[in-house]
Amino acid sequence: MMLCIAACWLALSATPGRAAENCKVCHRVTLEGVHARLACLSCHLSESATLANPAAAAGGAQGCSGCHAGYARLFDHAMGTRDRERRFVERSIGRFDAGFFENRCGSCHLAGCTDCHGGSGHRLKRAGDRACFACHKGYFVGTDYYGMAPREDSLRYQRGEVAYGQSFLKMTPDVHAEAGLRCAACHSMTSLAAGEKASKGCRDCHRVSQKVVEHRIAAHLEKLECYACHSAWAAQEYGTFWLRFTDSTLQEEFEVKENAGNYLKSAYLRKQDAPPLGINAAGKVSPIRPQFLLYFSDIRNDRAVGGWTAGGQDLLENRLLAAEWKTFFPHTVRRGTVMCEGCHDTPRRYLLEAPQDRIYQLQADGMTLPSFWDRSGQKVVNGDFLPMARYRRVAAKTQEYQRAYLEKWQQLIKHVEASSSP
Amino acid sequence: MRRANLTTNRVFPLWLGLILLLSLSGCAEQSPRKMGCERCHLRIERVSASHPRCVSCHGGDPEASVATVAHKTMYGPKNPAAPEHWEKSCGACHQYQVGRMKANLMYTGTGMIKNTQLTWEGWDEQLYSSRGGEVIDPLGNRLTLKPVAELDNLSGELYRKFCSRCHVGQGTGDVYASSHGSGCAACHFPFNNDATYQGTDPVMRGKAPFSASHALEALPGNQVCARCHNRSGRIALSFQGLYDGNNSLVPTRNGSPGPVLLSGLRNAVHIAPDVHAQAGMDCIDCHTSRDLMGDGYAYQNMNLQTEISCEDCHGGARLPRYREIARESDEALRESRNYRIRMRPGMKMVQTAKGRSYSNVFYQDGTVYVLGKRSGKLFKSKVITGSAEHSIVGHGRMECYACHSRTVVQCYGCHTRYDKTVKGMDFIKGRETPGRFSETEDYRMLYPFPLALNQRGKVSTVTPGCQTFVTVVEPDGTASKNEYVARFKGKQQLRFAPFFSHNTGKRAVGCVECHGNPAFLGFGQHVVAGGDIYGTLICEQSADKPLDGFLTLQDGRVRAYSAITREHSRPLNGSEVRRTLAVNTCLVCHAKASDPIYRKELDYRALDDAVHRRLLARP
Repeated sequence: MMLCIAACWLALSATPGRAAENCKVCHRVTLEGVHARLACLSCHLSESATLANPAAAAGGAQGCSGCHAGYARLFDHAMGTRDRERRFVERSIGRFDAGFFENRCGSCHLAGCTDCHGGSGHRLKRAGDRACFACHKGYFVGTDYYGMAPREDSLRYQRGEVAYGQSFLKMTPDVHAEAGLRCAACHSMTSLAAGEKASKGCRDCHRVSQKVVEHRIAAHLEKLECYACHSAWAAQEYGTFWLRFTDSTLQEEFEVKENAGNYLKSAYLRKQDAPPLGINAAGKVSPIRPQFLLYFSDIRNDRAVGGWTAGGQDLLENRLLAAEWKTFFPHTVRRGTVMCEGCHDTPRRYLLEAPQDRIYQLQADGMTLPSFWDRSGQKVVNGDFLPMARYRRVAAKTQEYQRAYLEKWQQLIKHVEASSSP
Repeated sequence: MRRANLTTNRVFPLWLGLILLLSLSGCAEQSPRKMGCERCHLRIERVSASHPRCVSCHGGDPEASVATVAHKTMYGPKNPAAPEHWEKSCGACHQYQVGRMKANLMYTGTGMIKNTQLTWEGWDEQLYSSRGGEVIDPLGNRLTLKPVAELDNLSGELYRKFCSRCHVGQGTGDVYASSHGSGCAACHFPFNNDATYQGTDPVMRGKAPFSASHALEALPGNQVCARCHNRSGRIALSFQGLYDGNNSLVPTRNGSPGPVLLSGLRNAVHIAPDVHAQAGMDCIDCHTSRDLMGDGYAYQNMNLQTEISCEDCHGGARLPRYREIARESDEALRESRNYRIRMRPGMKMVQTAKGRSYSNVFYQDGTVYVLGKRSGKLFKSKVITGSAEHSIVGHGRMECYACHSRTVVQCYGCHTRYDKTVKGMDFIKGRETPGRFSETEDYRMLYPFPLALNQRGKVSTVTPGCQTFVTVVEPDGTASKNEYVARFKGKQQLRFAPFFSHNTGKRAVGCVECHGNPAFLGFGQHVVAGGDIYGTLICEQSADKPLDGFLTLQDGRVRAYSAITREHSRPLNGSEVRRTLAVNTCLVCHAKASDPIYRKELDYRALDDAVHRRLLARP
């Protein structure tokens, strides 16, 4: 009987244009949106070998790529493979928990076209910012564009409005967001499919105005990314802690946001001021941030277990598994910048903080590093710290620097009216 | 060897004197060992050599053979030093001290209660205290303080349900690392972290809440201060080099939240300590007994009760002042009795800002020395009067700590919720009443820190004081106030307060660091665009107001939208902001504070003179 029905279906479906009706005898599906007029098999391909999920990355999004040729390449790039994240986990916490990546990092990767283009394939729509923020939120560049910075992990700080599942600290939004530009304005589908970060650079739209003192300094234009100066702020996470508990009641004492299952995550310190600067793969000065300064404590039966030696000390917990920084582009662009000394007279921004200027005494708390803002024992994985020779040039108070500095400050000072309002 | 001899030589006459004293006073007949109390309280440690008899302090009946009878007439029975008994116990001998304590802010809480009112919903023109009472104000007028139990508003509730835990009018026994006795015992009979007696009396051992030992602490250590001063301004933490910052509870310590655990499930991490702490100085090495126990007058703010300043030991425009000990009634002689080195007649005692003698700071051979009251260490004080860095024209207006603070703890956005649908403990009334407070916070930071004018008209570090957003939930569950910003000085605004963080560094904030970073002027984290300086960390309720500052510059106009509390205090105004920023045009070439141009008023027109024009001409 079943065979008979199947045979009938096959026969009917052989007639082009009538396919939809055949499927819809059982599947009462209404298509909406841009694909409303398409036949079922346009995406599900064949009645004999029906594609259950035509948009699935696992099947190369066969149902979509028939028309949208080439876009399936997106799954071969960072958002699909997450190679860099996987490798990071492998060389850090994965050494202690082989299943960490599979168990803990599953929520943020592309599973198919519908991740961004509408939750259900039958109501496809253009991907909006909201789709991006499913993953690009919190510490992962995205929601910063709309002025949201991650809050401290302690429940004392987890307050206020919640967006995309995160309570956030209200910051100045990106000037482009204020102007109404969406993510896609700079991140076109074509660029994503090609594995490029963006379809537009700053200078594709902006002409560099020579009226601005800093723009008249040739070295600035040659050696700096625009966003080295124009990122108004950037989320920085100093000391990312993962704690693993086995048969321990102590876990309940940690009142922090992410405390479920046998793992708990917290951060020693979060900042959102002007980020440190390094050199990116293109050799240009760019913002950098910790990603990650990863510490791990393994707690079994309410006792820290492990045991290793660092700096001549036998240690049990807070094991430093990675001290890695990455160059990045905070999406917090403003017309304004810091003043000259914000870069030229602030060694901390190059991780060259003098020992006597250290505020946080990490080693007193068994955290191995002398300071977050000291390069020793740390590295930039997709670039480098500013080489010392270059730093010395940045910090040198040459006559050219003094002249430009004077002009810049005079411009500001002459603006400041002597009167003020209360 | 020599040291041992010295000790023997000193101790011998001391013993002789003591025996003589005891026999004269009649104490010798009633040796403490014969007291009935010690039949049960075996081996309990002596309070001190000068406090031999149990009943002098505790009352009770030492002859009774049954504990309940013996205890029946005791003062307390737990803490005879509590304010309800201190007249009969401590005050029977130490009338001068108990008299001062009655007007002492740490006991009355008058300043806190008044300031909470001022910044929350307006002052009702009444002065309150933890228990009420008659006091004398600094002008010599009689003053009646009403008991805070009668303050029937949110400020009163806040004091009774929150602040009162840390004031010596009330004891606290159930807060980890923050418990303390009440009255004199708060400082002189220190509690340990668990408020548990761990002395040598087997009957009392392990019981709580009691002081760790029955021995009197004549000179309280830093831990005593830290029992209370670990919240709000957190000065005891900053001084020791601890920061309870973001409360992230990491790094772990033995698998528990760490590295240092504080009350209320807060953790502290180590930061650079105050230079004085680093040298081994204790809180009481700077703070006189009059700072801590009051001088007998009832002030309305701690900055008025405090009599010390940095300049006392380090000099300022003038050298530290001194007065020789000329009379045998000099307080320094009496107060130094428990120090490792006692002051002697003829010593040149350094004067506090109020012109009273320190009991442990003196000139010797032209050098100012501070004696560690507990440690006996001698600290040499560096006098800065006349040095180049401290003779900058214009900097006479600066408090020392405006430059010498390493960090200033700043808590931004204090969201206080008062929920009347649940009950909360009223520690003054001693019972639960409707309404419980809870608190969340936006952001904490240490550096940089803002500066503004304080009550003395000087440029001082300031910290949010407070940025309270109040939510009140009525018994029916509706919110009568929702994230409400109280009115202060006639308008709804947040407040900053002049504040000394107690995290002093030898190295000052650099010239360029301070003048070149508008965050120090109160602009918060910011960017500069043309004639605008605007904040990047924004108040939830207003798109153009930064949360971590109180100034903006819009089209060249300096706008202040937060108040600085205390009389005469205010943010820097437009011309002051301009003057401060204008210094950068000199600093870029004249980078050193010792440069002679800073010995006189800066002349910005100098940039147009022939020398500067030639130097600045483009090649």
